Amino acid sequence: MLVDFELIERAQKGDNVAFNEIVLAYRKRILGTITRLIARPEDVEDVAQEVFLRLYFSLDQLRTAMVFEPWLHRLTVNAAYDYLRKQRRRQEYRMSDLSEQQVMMADASASGKAEHEEQHQKKIRESVDSLLGAVSEADRILLMLKEVEGLSLKELEKIYKVNENALKVRLFRARQRVLKAFGSSEKRKDP
Amino acid sequence: MEPMRGNDEARQSPSQRLDALFRAYRDACPDPEASANFMPNLWQRIEARQTYMFSLRRMANAFVTAALALSLGLGVYMSIPRSTTYSSESYIEALAEANPLETPEILGPVHLEISDPGR
Repeated sequence: MLVDFELIERAQKGDNVAFNEIVLAYRKRILGTITRLIARPEDVEDVAQEVFLRLYFSLDQLRTAMVFEPWLHRLTVNAAYDYLRKQRRRQEYRMSDLSEQQVMMADASASGKAEHEEQHQKKIRESVDSLLGAVSEADRILLMLKEVEGLSLKELEKIYKVNENALKVRLFRARQRVLKAFGSSEKRKDP
Repeated sequence: MEPMRGNDEARQSPSQRLDALFRAYRDACPDPEASANFMPNLWQRIEARQTYMFSLRRMANAFVTAALALSLGLGVYMSIPRSTTYSSESYIEALAEANPLETPEILGPVHLEISDPGR
């Protein structure tokens, strides 16, 4: 816990100073998680603000300060999921507006930029983002929380409020799909 | 060293290589610092939402008050005793009055006119 229970209880009672302190304590961590979940740096702050906005208006529903962190994770996951769904709709709309030739030109320009990209980290980000394109938004978030954020199954159980076995099955299937995509991408690199 | 690392990577299973890629991804995406506008924008959004919720609650209250006043008004209106213009006689009495016994069209014998078109 980055803050003590007393601070959370004060915020629950409507103390704005206490709430401000909670945001300051968790802001960086939440921004990091959202950065990795949505992979669009320009929208990270907007989504993070949405998380804290939801937290502000739902703090009174929190039964005990002990479950604060899973609660905050849950809000983060939901906000990221909502964002990804909206984003997918927007992308579908944008792509449907373009002609086939325009889409091909857009793809060529994107790959051209990638070729000139020298930063190793950017390549890693791109390859992971593309691999995670093989699974749904919900599975992408679940995999990210487990594999990248390093959350345990127990923690995920608290966030998703489903039993461990169901989570294991879902994680296994999502990971298998990503592994398959990973295998194909490696084959393309080394024919 | 590089070729050796390449050999090590080649010896790993795809699952291990994927784990390594996830770890590299975690390092490639460090937690970013918030911009200077993060907190002011957040409080602005909170206040905007509060204002919206407050006006929504006020509208709902006004609606409930108006509905209560209307029901009360209707109740009062219905409870006021009013002079009735209609008579207290029963339907049968009213019918009898409208069609008195001496009315010939009702009480007169029925005249059947039998005509024989053949004769």
